[in-house]
Amino acid sequence: MLSNIGIGLVVLVLILSFLTIYAASLDLKTSSQSIQRGIYKLSLYQTTFTILSFFTLIIAFINSDFSLINVYENSHTSKPLFYKIAGTWGNHEGSLLLWINILVIFSYLFLVFNHKHNKKFRLYTLIFQNILILGFLFFLLLNSNPFNSIYPIPREGLGLNPILQDPALAIHPPLLYVGFVGCSIYFSAAMASMVSGYGGKLFAQSIKAWVQISWCFQTLGIIVGSIWAYYELGWGGFWFWDPVENASLLPWFAITALMHSLIVLEKRNTLHAWVIILCLLTFILSVTGTFLVRSGILNSVHTFASDPSRGIYILLFLLFMVFSALIIFFSTYQKEVYKFNLKSRETFILANNWFMIFFLITVLIGMLYPIFLDVLTDIKISVGPPFFNIVIIPLVVPFLFLMAIGPNFSWIKSRNNNAYKILFLILGAVGINLLISNFFGKYSLLSNLIFIAAIFLFLHLFLDIKKFINKKNRFELPRIISHLGFGLLVFFIGINHQFSLEEDFNLKVGEIKKTNSYEINFEDIKITKSKNYKAIIGNFKLTNLKNNVVQYLGPEIRIYSNPETLTYEAAIKTKITSDLYLTMSNVSRSDYYNIKFQNKPFMIWIWISALMITLGGFTRLILKKNEN
Amino acid sequence: MLTKKVKNRISFLFFIFLSSIIAVFFVLKSLNKNIVYFSSPTEIKQREDIPFKKAMRVGGMVKKGSIVINQKNIQFVVTDFKNEILISYSGTVPNLFAEEKGVVAEGKLRDKNFFIAERILAKHDENYMPPEIKEIIENNAK
Amino acid sequence: MKISISKIIIFSFIIFSFLIFWQGLKKNNDYDTKNLIGNKISNFQLIDLNNEKKLITEEDLRKNEYTLINFFASWCSPCRTEHEYLLKLSNKKIRIIGINFKDKKSNAISFLEELGNPYDFIGKDKNGKISVLFGIYGIPETLIVDSSLIVIKKYIGPIDQNQYDEILKLIQ
Repeated sequence: MLSNIGIGLVVLVLILSFLTIYAASLDLKTSSQSIQRGIYKLSLYQTTFTILSFFTLIIAFINSDFSLINVYENSHTSKPLFYKIAGTWGNHEGSLLLWINILVIFSYLFLVFNHKHNKKFRLYTLIFQNILILGFLFFLLLNSNPFNSIYPIPREGLGLNPILQDPALAIHPPLLYVGFVGCSIYFSAAMASMVSGYGGKLFAQSIKAWVQISWCFQTLGIIVGSIWAYYELGWGGFWFWDPVENASLLPWFAITALMHSLIVLEKRNTLHAWVIILCLLTFILSVTGTFLVRSGILNSVHTFASDPSRGIYILLFLLFMVFSALIIFFSTYQKEVYKFNLKSRETFILANNWFMIFFLITVLIGMLYPIFLDVLTDIKISVGPPFFNIVIIPLVVPFLFLMAIGPNFSWIKSRNNNAYKILFLILGAVGINLLISNFFGKYSLLSNLIFIAAIFLFLHLFLDIKKFINKKNRFELPRIISHLGFGLLVFFIGINHQFSLEEDFNLKVGEIKKTNSYEINFEDIKITKSKNYKAIIGNFKLTNLKNNVVQYLGPEIRIYSNPETLTYEAAIKTKITSDLYLTMSNVSRSDYYNIKFQNKPFMIWIWISALMITLGGFTRLILKKNEN
Repeated sequence: MLTKKVKNRISFLFFIFLSSIIAVFFVLKSLNKNIVYFSSPTEIKQREDIPFKKAMRVGGMVKKGSIVINQKNIQFVVTDFKNEILISYSGTVPNLFAEEKGVVAEGKLRDKNFFIAERILAKHDENYMPPEIKEIIENNAK
Repeated sequence: MKISISKIIIFSFIIFSFLIFWQGLKKNNDYDTKNLIGNKISNFQLIDLNNEKKLITEEDLRKNEYTLINFFASWCSPCRTEHEYLLKLSNKKIRIIGINFKDKKSNAISFLEELGNPYDFIGKDKNGKISVLFGIYGIPETLIVDSSLIVIKKYIGPIDQNQYDEILKLIQ
């Protein structure tokens, strides 16, 4: 029954989308300045039914209604309630329904909140957005329907992968999807802008909040994914340049570039074409990323199970999107003359865009090169972390430098001579860096440069904060927070990378291992029983040889019964100064356990700085809201 | 006379060109690093030009009775029934690593008889329950 | 819209990329040995090692109650230890198909001449791609498939006495 309700609701949404496009096209021709009431109603109904369809699926999961194939494949009666609900979007079909929900909700909200803007523009946005919605609806109904039913109804479900039962993993997809799919609205708005001629400053104002929202959630989604990887995967790492991670990074670079360029568009009414290109690019990258990940064309740590027809559909849809965007762009493109004075804020924002695009292309090449090579020459290679690290990290140095001095330049033309200030602060940064390297220990030349650039940024921000306290210019606050967060992130990742310690050794119960700074005593093991697993917990006593502080860590080997799987849970002690990370695994056919011990300085500061970057974005949203 | 506009365009194109060259260079470089050559113990004994200190892989079967585990590392002998090589490895071991089973070790050759492995590539099967774990759980159930 | 070189380049590049992705999709029918058991194999087609024109397809698999698919190579030492079990099984009620993985034809033939040929059919897989499609990346590996093409068992590594007994019990 739920199956029929679900499909019925989706078909209703489909019909409403068609009606919306039709009604909007008609309304375009009328001479009235405001949009017909009926269109608002259509959009509201569309939103309501879409949300209802998603609730239907959630209810099916909560009730473990295995008459739906999707619930059968991805759930189990003994799953805790929270994870049953999270199972709704933790699979391909369910997440597609979530995508459609976000597309529809954003479509409605954009319509309602932009009532001060040009009617034609808003109608065209609605039309383009609904074309996207139709595309996804057809994909769902024809290929990836979460409401498909199965008969006879199975008594129990298949979906009890313990690794997927984790809180961070449960909220990570929705966060990321608001980012990914939120881009759709300004893709449609950009198309509408080109077709209706409504551009420039007013266009920037209409999409500003949406760009900011999608950026905030995209950033947060990526961070939560990294935090999950660190706590759950057992390697102590948080970023692996994995194709799925990279797929989420591509739109992030574009949205960040767009966010900065919008400032220029709004302030100086220039960079029209570039902003439009970025708007189009962002959603195109989101869908491309989805294609690469879900079609199975890339192999990764966390691919969804692949079905070739899925990939074909997404590819065709992507082609359609890209072609339409390109054709409309080239038809309406008007040459712009950019006249930027070198010593102006616009230049520095453009510089940010250069770097973002460069990083984007690097990651894109890293992802696509193996595919192209395989198809053209049958050679299989994989492009790993060394490539991304070598190309991207050195460029972070000039990037930080420009980030520091950029905001000090005024619009149009900067009259101050900042050269002395810059020189003075560079010397200051070098000095502080020397202090740090004396205190912590020597590090590589590249690390030195990175620290100097980061400290240089901090010094500038410190002066900015002083100015902020005096002048109380609230609109500087988001930038200060986000840029500070970014600088701190780079800084702490640098320290963590340089000064992390890792030791690999084998111990039997009762044995002791001494490293340079720690004594690790494998005291005993105990067995515990939980709802769906048994665990062998190792009791380790760690003594810090420098200050004799004692800690206990309990890494686990978990044996799940349904299906019978083995997982290794790391024991992590997070302190302000560092994380202690211990993983224990069994060595085949012996009494030995293999122990991996890591001391990772300032780990929690990495998360704090990353969250700070997001905080800046949310601060900006709040300030903008209060302004209205 | 080069107008500012033309100059800007030139520097823009130059920047793009330079970035592409850098990117291609690094891709080729990492291609090189990614090609890890595979040898059997016999090839290692017989080849004249075997690379030392360069990442490579050795594969074969783990010789019966050759696994020695101590605190620091695991040592074992890999054989292809004609020749043997001693391998030392410290780190997590896949649960299908066992005597008389196949293994591929990735690392560096110290000399023709001794290989230091950085990774062990025996398969890790989620459906496999290691006997030592089974034993602990069963003993505890009593 | 005026036609210009840059537009042609951009459109060509987009079309080129899509063709690559299209091809990439077609090549990709990935299996994952994690969940192989209980799954159906599809797109099964092998070319005979000795005769390019001879093929074996899903239809052939359906004709037998059980089929054993063994991935082997002449350069693989553990393959030698399991060979006696394969030979014993070749006299039993189970069809044995070998897939010769990343191997030279002449070497494979010598290998089988030396140790005996248990295979009813030998498929060739010179660059390992077919085996990868099965989710295999180590040699030897063995799959047991039933007449509805469902994988009932998989063995990683050489078959030993226990596994041989297991297979015997299955086909009885």
